[in-house]
Amino acid sequence: MSAATNTAAGRPPGTPPIVLLKGICKYFPGVVANQSIDLEVLSGEIHALLGENGAGKSTLMNILTGIYQPDAGEIIVDGYAKAFASPVEAIAAGIGMVHQHFKLVHAFTVAENIHLGWGETPARISAQALEVRTAELASALNLAVKPDARVEDLSTGEQQRVEILRVLARRARLLILDEPTAVLTPSEARELFKALREFVSRGNAVVFISHKLDEVLEISDRITVLRGGRKVATEETGNCTHKSLAKLMVGHEIVLNDLRGRAAGAALLSPQAVLSLHEVSAHDDLGNVALNGVSLEVRGGEILGIAGVAGNGQKELSQVLTGMRPVASGRIEVGEKDFTGKSAEQFAAFGVGHIPEDRLHSGLAPALSVTDNAVMREYKKPPVSVGSWFRPRAATALAETIAAAASVAVPDFGMPVRNLSGGNQQRLVGRREMRIAGKGLIAAYPSRGLDVGAINTMMRYFVELRDAGCAVVLISEELEELLNLSDRIAVMFHGRIMGIVDGTSTDIEEIGLLMGGKPTTNPPLSVAAN
Amino acid sequence: MARGLAIVLALVCAGLVLGAAGANPIALASKVIQSTFGSSFGLQDVSLLVTPLILTGLAVAVALKVGAWNIGAEGQFYAGAFAATGIGLFIPGPTVVILPLMFVGGALCGVLWILIPTLARAYAGVSELITTLLLNFVGTLLAYYVSTGPWLDPGGHALGTTARVPHSVPEIWGDVHWGFPLAIMLTLVVAGVLNFTRWGYEVRLAGSNAQAALYAGIPFRRHLITVMLLSGAIAGIAGMLEVAGTVHRLQGGISNNFGYLGIMVAVLARGSAIGVLAGAALMAVILNSGIILQTQGINTSTVLAITGLILFFTAIGDELAHYRIVPIETAKK
Repeated sequence: MSAATNTAAGRPPGTPPIVLLKGICKYFPGVVANQSIDLEVLSGEIHALLGENGAGKSTLMNILTGIYQPDAGEIIVDGYAKAFASPVEAIAAGIGMVHQHFKLVHAFTVAENIHLGWGETPARISAQALEVRTAELASALNLAVKPDARVEDLSTGEQQRVEILRVLARRARLLILDEPTAVLTPSEARELFKALREFVSRGNAVVFISHKLDEVLEISDRITVLRGGRKVATEETGNCTHKSLAKLMVGHEIVLNDLRGRAAGAALLSPQAVLSLHEVSAHDDLGNVALNGVSLEVRGGEILGIAGVAGNGQKELSQVLTGMRPVASGRIEVGEKDFTGKSAEQFAAFGVGHIPEDRLHSGLAPALSVTDNAVMREYKKPPVSVGSWFRPRAATALAETIAAAASVAVPDFGMPVRNLSGGNQQRLVGRREMRIAGKGLIAAYPSRGLDVGAINTMMRYFVELRDAGCAVVLISEELEELLNLSDRIAVMFHGRIMGIVDGTSTDIEEIGLLMGGKPTTNPPLSVAAN
Repeated sequence: MARGLAIVLALVCAGLVLGAAGANPIALASKVIQSTFGSSFGLQDVSLLVTPLILTGLAVAVALKVGAWNIGAEGQFYAGAFAATGIGLFIPGPTVVILPLMFVGGALCGVLWILIPTLARAYAGVSELITTLLLNFVGTLLAYYVSTGPWLDPGGHALGTTARVPHSVPEIWGDVHWGFPLAIMLTLVVAGVLNFTRWGYEVRLAGSNAQAALYAGIPFRRHLITVMLLSGAIAGIAGMLEVAGTVHRLQGGISNNFGYLGIMVAVLARGSAIGVLAGAALMAVILNSGIILQTQGINTSTVLAITGLILFFTAIGDELAHYRIVPIETAKK
């Protein structure tokens, strides 16, 4: 109890936990999502729920908030057994959740979103009165929002604050946050942490779902680790380290460290750039300028990291680099040849692999079989195709090879690929792209949504490619990952490259400043165009 | 399980409707079974019904493969029937020449009927759902117009039909003509092409996720156009065969809603070209049972209600068959 009592709550002895889960079990066809999980959340604590993908974190929280019904076990709130048939009943009992993907109405104002579907919203009320109510709630709960702004005009961090306010306004005493920092800049994350601290100091509690060890260690009082649907441990945060947590999560120790060192016999940096952009501009899907005069070059045998808050042009950059998005102006060179205006097929044929940002929407056809998806890059060549014939058996054989290389166990290669877990899909895409990435690989957020084990596998893939002389562009929001891998890091802000820094000599602070749009005092390293 | 239950439920409901209409459901049921499966005439009738259903079902299913809803098989069916009749009636020549010409003409006219919706979808993003549907009415009315107007049988006394087309698809067994095996073969060929050619793979990928097709360098638009036109051609062939094999004349209502029932067949087939054969067979048996009920003096509305009920239950049962019933322990209060 030592770490829990150091919060300001000062629980009198005998206070029941806000929530006690006992022996929760949840089974899906062929999957044990939760097996006899006990969890105790005390008032005044921030309780982190840590685990790999598919460890059962989200299932457990969905049971607690009434989205799923448990197959066995009890939910005890403030000492009384409860059953929640829906999230509405859960919030009435003081348990609210902020999901990873916000559930806000974009066309509505903040005030309207806060009051939507809330029993306490007066039946007839003017827009101004709604905004006044919202402003009062915001100041009472110490969460600054703009009541009259439309949600679509807000940044992700602001949207998250609206979501939290919406839950807290309904007098939630337990706030569950699913991967809350995934969409935030470092400074927004710090603000969030301050707000959470403040919230629990009033005797409330927070359950913080994450797989980022750093922030879990920073923010939580206690940590519960799930693995394979079971609870592995609940520990006081003070007794935990990176290593001990990683070990608990994956069952063995994982070391994230500097991967820039080349193995003996690794390919040297190529004298010429494999991929280069010269003053490239491009539009996003809505026709707004997404890339603004971007110049960079990547040589064979190096990893160029791209940092930046999501939505600053990284997606468009990855698409431009793979021929999926036309450029408005500027010039793309691949292997010293002009590739401006070339198709995605030509990029792939030259040997540029692409791990797309939203694998389920552009890298895979979710409804088609694992086999059909695995051969997407090589179906035109023998053995999968002979002449214009497609050979399903050869395709399955290739799919088996790729799955084995990716260490993905596929029970049935004919089943839709969407039945695989996110991590397995990503590994499969990664291996598939590596097979064609003879010259270059563009990886957009390859570790997004993956657990430590899968991330390390992906990182090893990139190192392997780099050592084979391939030019790797790694777009990521995980600064640690970029610092571990990248030889150089380009930082994007509002469609521009704010600077390209050396991976060995830079630090998080410098990159953080560039991410926020502030050019550093020391001039960035050569911006490659010349 | 769910499928069996659906059929039992459908039959019970049908029985209740018939009972309410003052008939003896048991006697009628045995009559239906006997007349459908117990006689060569019954089987011939089913085969005649199944032929257009396979083709319209295939037309819809093929378009679905590339991600398009061809609701217009009905209109393309009429267009195919119209072209075949025109060629058969007004171009003189031996059957060996004219019959293939009717076949090609029927297919081309089906293509023509879906051409505008296809181009509108491919180049302007106009929903093919609406455009193909609207053209059905044009096709239906065109057939009515020519069969009661300019092409009305000059010698005959039958109302609202053209003269008998002098060329017909040869018969193989009683009334059953070569269109029946042709439809099955066409289905097998299409299934084979989709599964065993590079083009088929590209079509499946493009239809499943256009974004992924772009990523893999597959020309989505070109495949969309080709496959939609193929879909129209198949529905046109269905119309041609109906004229040249079964009815031998063009008349309003010749389609018997085959175009719309094809949507049902394709949905029951769940995206599998082979499944179209099974779906069409089921549909044909249901339609034929309806016809037998009518000969037993049950009025058309009752028959339609029963057919609808059976289809309704089958569709629900088929959907439910893809779920598994798992008992859940209700949470303790």
